[in-house]
Amino acid sequence: VGPRPESSSAAVGIALGRRWSPEDHPAQLRIASVAALLVVWEVFGRRADPLLFTYPSAVGRAGLDLLRSGELLRQLPQSLGVLGAGLGVSVVLGVTMGLVAGRSRLLEAALAPHVNALSAMPPVALIPLLMLWFGLGFGVKVATVFLFAFPPVLVNASTGARGVSGSILDVGRVAGASRWQLLLKIVLPASLPFILTGVRLAVGRALVGMIIGELLTALTGLGAMLMLYANIFETAHLFAVVLLVAALGVGLSQVAQLVEARLTGWKATERAIR
Amino acid sequence: MSHEGVWSPSTATTSVARSATNELERRALVELALSPPRARGLADSTRWVSLGSILLVATVWECVGRSLDPLFLSYPSAITRAFLEMLLTGELVRPVMASLVVFAIGLGLALGAGIGLGLLMGRFPLARYLLDPYLYALDATPRVALIPLFLLWLGLGGTSKGAIVFLSALCPVAISTLSGVRTVSASLVEVGRVFGAGDAVVFRKVVIPAALPFILAGARLGTGRALIGIITAEMLTAVTGTGGLLVRYAGALATDKVFVLVGLLGLAGALLGGAATALDARWTPWTAAGGRGSLAPRGGNSPGGRP
Repeated sequence: VGPRPESSSAAVGIALGRRWSPEDHPAQLRIASVAALLVVWEVFGRRADPLLFTYPSAVGRAGLDLLRSGELLRQLPQSLGVLGAGLGVSVVLGVTMGLVAGRSRLLEAALAPHVNALSAMPPVALIPLLMLWFGLGFGVKVATVFLFAFPPVLVNASTGARGVSGSILDVGRVAGASRWQLLLKIVLPASLPFILTGVRLAVGRALVGMIIGELLTALTGLGAMLMLYANIFETAHLFAVVLLVAALGVGLSQVAQLVEARLTGWKATERAIR
Repeated sequence: MSHEGVWSPSTATTSVARSATNELERRALVELALSPPRARGLADSTRWVSLGSILLVATVWECVGRSLDPLFLSYPSAITRAFLEMLLTGELVRPVMASLVVFAIGLGLALGAGIGLGLLMGRFPLARYLLDPYLYALDATPRVALIPLFLLWLGLGGTSKGAIVFLSALCPVAISTLSGVRTVSASLVEVGRVFGAGDAVVFRKVVIPAALPFILAGARLGTGRALIGIITAEMLTAVTGTGGLLVRYAGALATDKVFVLVGLLGLAGALLGGAATALDARWTPWTAAGGRGSLAPRGGNSPGGRP
């Protein structure tokens, strides 16, 4: 992405007296669009049947209600615990197996058919089996998150490890590094950009897995709240939870991008030098 | 970096000398001994290792499965038998057809609307800034969270499932198309301009073809998401379709039949992914891997990834 046209033309000073162009006002246009939608929604939503539809101010009130009653504070940690545990297991296992598989053709060939089968199938289909094996508690949800988040981490880690340049490995070997030192001190840092891309993809998928697991077990967490409020026709509360899930999705993906940018900053400078 | 793509083991490296273009070069390489001949090991026959690994897992599964309660974990031969039985009784046909129809309609609409929306937003900055807050917000929201809402509005029938399929596939397609249009190389556009093409012609004849690999990558991602969407929706309503059947078999503790459906869904996922790759290779032959690999948009397959 090059410099934006408006900044370059402004720098040269030829933008004077230009016609109004949408390119110059992205933020204002976005705010106006969201504000207009909220107003229209409020006006029409108030006229609709409150059992089926709702409006922004009612959603805001429902959100405050959830917060004050302590319902949200009870369910949100449950969901985040599932998400954290599933994601943690996926990252640890995915990175370890991916790095080793990426450096060993034998292991890679042995793992590939199973991993490909796992990532081709919609992981939801396995949930009935997981329920049979783990019951309806914490375990089944963590396993669901794992099934969603594991494949991208593994595949990206192994792609990264496979592409590590032979010359840096040679430098390590010349310095007398053992196999494990090579893996930990050279292969791991060199594959970090790939691993973090995998983790960023996994975070989004893990959230999907968390919601699906909670929707289907319908006992605890945000997914269970969604199911409950839909069943008792509390549409405003349902919308409040949907918005919270959306905010969680935006927030988590922003954090993942930030971590990725921070930890792989050297990659960007390397590219700029070249 | 295409995690949705097939993870193919790297093929055994041919020795440097064999890749020489002529006799002189070959002799030079041999004399330099850049790649000393090494004994062929197990790692060189990756295909056989993969096959052996599949057989090993199947054998262990068969042995362990037979010694356990069949309600808990079935085993391959029982699953095959269940599959043949289900084919003979024809109990698969109706649910699978019901799913397929909803899936095809929802996905078709999503492809049309997603590509249209992406092109519109790529072509007109006004449309882009007015619409992109919603597109990115919807993309970051797990679409499955909307399933209860759609069941509330549209009932338990095909309409709500079609809507879920549509929404699941829409975002990846639209975002991928948009980033494709936005990243078309400026020199291509300039060549068009030099030949006297106006904005509309440049868009139709330069920008859209150049964005095609991105559009196809989006379609491929969208297809995978749509499959997850429809199965989840059907499992939640537990009335019709493949997902409904899955829940019913699981409820009846028919573990072997559950595995049959899981296998069929895996096959469906692989076939759809393969079809997308084949289209990619045919329609965008100028990209190295047919649009896969490094060209797959990083912003496109990430939730909330801005181009």
